[in-house]
Amino acid sequence: MAEHRSPRVNSARLANFVGQTVRITCKVRKFMNHQAIVECSDGGEVTINMSPAADISDPFIEVIGKVLDSTTIQMMAAINLGNDFDMKIVDFVIEKWHSQQFSSVF
Amino acid sequence: MSQYSQNPYYPNGGAGGGGGYMTGGSPYGSTSGSPGGFANRGSAAQSLRPVTVKQLFNATQAHTDAEWHIDDIEVGQISLVAQVMSIQAQTTNCVYWLDDGTGRIEARHWVDSSTMQEDGVDPNGIKEHDYIRVMGNLKTFGNKRYVNATHLRVCSDPYEPYFHTLDVCATKLILERGPPNKQGERVAQGTTQAGGISAYQNQTHAATSDQYSHLPPLERAICVFLLEQPPNDEGIHVGNIARAVQGSPNDISAALDKLLDDGHIYTTLDESHYALSV
Repeated sequence: MAEHRSPRVNSARLANFVGQTVRITCKVRKFMNHQAIVECSDGGEVTINMSPAADISDPFIEVIGKVLDSTTIQMMAAINLGNDFDMKIVDFVIEKWHSQQFSSVF
Repeated sequence: MSQYSQNPYYPNGGAGGGGGYMTGGSPYGSTSGSPGGFANRGSAAQSLRPVTVKQLFNATQAHTDAEWHIDDIEVGQISLVAQVMSIQAQTTNCVYWLDDGTGRIEARHWVDSSTMQEDGVDPNGIKEHDYIRVMGNLKTFGNKRYVNATHLRVCSDPYEPYFHTLDVCATKLILERGPPNKQGERVAQGTTQAGGISAYQNQTHAATSDQYSHLPPLERAICVFLLEQPPNDEGIHVGNIARAVQGSPNDISAALDKLLDDGHIYTTLDESHYALSV
């Protein structure tokens, strides 16, 4: 099952998952050609290499993609989350996800 | 029962009548490894537990017809929030390939042929890449695990996956530690200097029902104390209450007045004797 794992991460945890698939919940800062600069739930900025199929209509999105390096993600898919999303909750969930206490769950 | 007490398949067999939970169809008891836990209750089969896909793959089963166990606790129905990666509609059922970030599992929904719609339209209104909530049972077919889904719906609220993540965490902690004690925990902390009393109170918290858990600590302590007293038409003197709970006379007096106003207690012989209205 390990090949289908896609943990939720923030920008600080990205470096631990290079080469793997992750999910980041983020706010789009700006689009540039085939890239987007987004702000993660912990406030850090990440560059997304956009997939041509992506249909992004909302400022808050969840990106599923492969981590190229500690600040870049190759997008596989994106989910629109609306105009207003509480990033504090997202970051809280991410920290629980990676805490040792719940290692048998996530 | 004594002839069964040597039988290794009946770990609880000697505890007269304890075998009542072991229905005839399941002679192996299925939970011999977890003494005194939540396990070994048929009622768990009717419960609904929030889980992740990873937990489903780590779930264990004593034999192919036994109940599933996660962390040695029996699970019946499960509730899962995950993203739909693909949908395969077939004549009698619909297969959803689900990914919740911890792993991937199939959910199979058997469709009543009369409600099946024309090709390409999902009977539940689910599209690929939607987050959905699935309720059902864990099953195996060959070596593959899948969820036999009874209910599926789209998560219209984008927070639902995050809620579910925390719901899974909270459920795990409740199953490990018992339900949260709400205000009662503060009572226990506040009386730690009186070692004997606090040790005694901790026990009663576990034993009594949570009907007073919504009260402030002092009022709760008074109610718990009154509940412990032997039944007595004359009630309990205020002096005895004051000795049993920690607090200044004014605070206790105010707490008693509040309980009196709310109808939790009533006066008996005179203004200084109280009894619990149960």
